[in-house]
Amino acid sequence: MDLTLLNYPIFLGVLIALYALLTLGLNIQWGFAGLFNAGVAGFFAVGAYTSALLTAPPDPERILGLELPVAVGWLAATVMAALIAWPIGKVTLRFRADYLAIATIGIAEIIRLILRSEEALSGGVRGITQIPRPFGDLPYEAAQLAYLLLSWSLVGIIYWALERQVRAPWGRMMRAIRDNEAAAAAMGKDVEARRLEAFILGAAIMGLAGALYVHFMRAITPEAIDPMMVTFLVWIMLILGGSGNNRGALLGTALIWLIWSASELLTDRLPAEYATQAKYVRLFAVGLLLQIVLRWRPAGLLPERLYSIGQKG
Amino acid sequence: MKPRKRSLLLALAVAGFFTATPYARAQEARVALLSGITGPIAGMAPAMIASMKLALDQANAAGGLSYGKLLYQEFDDGCNPQIATDAMTKAVNVFKATAAVGPGCSGALLAAANSVSIPAGLLLISSSATSPKITTLDDKNLVYRTVPSDDYQGKVLARALLARGFKKVAVAYINNDYGKGLADAFKAEFEAKGGTITQFRGHEDKKPSYRADLAELAKGGADTLVLFDYANSSGLTILKQAIENNFFKNYVGADGMRDENLIKTLGADNLKTFLVSAPVGEAGEAYNRFAEAARKAGIDPNATFAATSYDAAFLVALALEAAKGDKSKLPQALRAVATAPGEPILPGEWDKAKKLLAAGKEIDYKGASGDLEFDAAGDVPGSFALFGVAGNTFKELQKMN
Repeated sequence: MDLTLLNYPIFLGVLIALYALLTLGLNIQWGFAGLFNAGVAGFFAVGAYTSALLTAPPDPERILGLELPVAVGWLAATVMAALIAWPIGKVTLRFRADYLAIATIGIAEIIRLILRSEEALSGGVRGITQIPRPFGDLPYEAAQLAYLLLSWSLVGIIYWALERQVRAPWGRMMRAIRDNEAAAAAMGKDVEARRLEAFILGAAIMGLAGALYVHFMRAITPEAIDPMMVTFLVWIMLILGGSGNNRGALLGTALIWLIWSASELLTDRLPAEYATQAKYVRLFAVGLLLQIVLRWRPAGLLPERLYSIGQKG
Repeated sequence: MKPRKRSLLLALAVAGFFTATPYARAQEARVALLSGITGPIAGMAPAMIASMKLALDQANAAGGLSYGKLLYQEFDDGCNPQIATDAMTKAVNVFKATAAVGPGCSGALLAAANSVSIPAGLLLISSSATSPKITTLDDKNLVYRTVPSDDYQGKVLARALLARGFKKVAVAYINNDYGKGLADAFKAEFEAKGGTITQFRGHEDKKPSYRADLAELAKGGADTLVLFDYANSSGLTILKQAIENNFFKNYVGADGMRDENLIKTLGADNLKTFLVSAPVGEAGEAYNRFAEAARKAGIDPNATFAATSYDAAFLVALALEAAKGDKSKLPQALRAVATAPGEPILPGEWDKAKKLLAAGKEIDYKGASGDLEFDAAGDVPGSFALFGVAGNTFKELQKMN
């Protein structure tokens, strides 16, 4: 069998793993804690640039470039995104729903504009290149496969940890706070601190996704943290898959990315004069799908399950 | 659990249907055409794609390659790294491209080349990615471009302005790799040759008003504004507001500002002191041949990056012919057909080129956008001219070098 045919599914798999981390992170914030974070791209960017700066070779035009091992970069990306999320959460989490969305979208834009403008920090609009990739020295096919396994084992670990976390008393408490804040507070729960925990945990996972992205692409420029491709696409994935359900988050991610990417193969079969126009339809199709799901399955394809104490599920 | 199983099966079925597309066929060469069909350069992409297709269609009409036809397929790079890597992966692994033209934007090219095309050993040649970062890419000799790096245009423009007597200017640039690249190169050269830059400011696009930026720029007393921006974006807004409020006397732009819609919108009378630099075909004959063919095919030959796109695709076709379908010999073949020495080949002269190659002779393609002699990094120096406004169009004032 022609092995190169597998390269495309492998690539899809890696991209789905990247986005899966983002949706899992958002699911903690929105699905379990009810925090409307519209600034996913900001934490993704923090993670991506942190890891890039620590592992890339030095460049006279900007700081750092320490050539540290990739694992250090990934760890630092996770920690850095959490550290950035802490003050942001402190300030913004007093807002409810739509106000929080406006605040987070603003902060993500601030992060994006800083990274675009501060050349000494981030390489400015030209970005950072020559970022090392784990197993990057292997031949193309093997390198892709190795990265696929690496990224999915990370997704697997995080999925397993999150599932444990949301089944634990912590998860029940988060859902209680989400569904009835006053009641949870009356039960003696520290609502503000718990919401901050969920916000930071989600942001840390998004930071890890950024690190995973940057080492896969081996380069980062500010276009990569475009809110359309990071924040809004991730929201669509989560809403479609089913917020409050980690499996739903994974399913939504896989479906949306498959439709987004693979629909091009279908439109390429059209006659040449329509092939170009058909590319615009992809954007439209994703929006339409979201509308349909919201109309007929408002809780997503895999709705949130009701957990009871002791249930293994 | 039933609905879950059903959706999983559905997902698998969809995945299977899309990925199991059979494409393999022998005796032909496949060229992937990547451009920002959606995204920020969507306005330029149709003319670019059409010009690439024109070059390959001409080659096919004149008999194609000696070992088969040139097949091509277009991909959307979205001017975005995620979409571009996705498109490049499809181009390499599903379409099974032998070579690629594109991607259209620098950030998209850097990601797609680094993570897909270079590891996969695919030759690519971009007609519109202008970032100086591409020059220093560790590309294993696989990345080329027919459009000059911004470094170059910024420098020649600085020298031309000094020669015309502009000694003191303010510089405004759109804060992206295009504007920033041009502005930095311009500043370095202008100051090194004795000019003064009173203000040097980047701005973000899509703002409704730039009056505050203009007021800042006007401080320092320069009467000339050098604006590195796009005519279909903030460039138009800034120029309009600057002229309305008389912030400066003279205005200078680069190729992104060369757009006849600008003259229509602002009026030729208001643009008497407006100069733009833009790439031009070095050999008039080569450009004319392209322009004639383009007009016949319904393409505006002066559209931004139309000529460079045509050249990129035609060069890929020539290289494919010279390499006789051997992918590993493509970079070497591309250099051989593009650079001197050799019999000159003009746009559209496919038959002549094919015969010369078959006879084992060297050829040297002289493109519509310039001579296209690649340097060690795969860049071209390009040729630029300074234009002024005359009537409803731009008139060439002088060549720049």
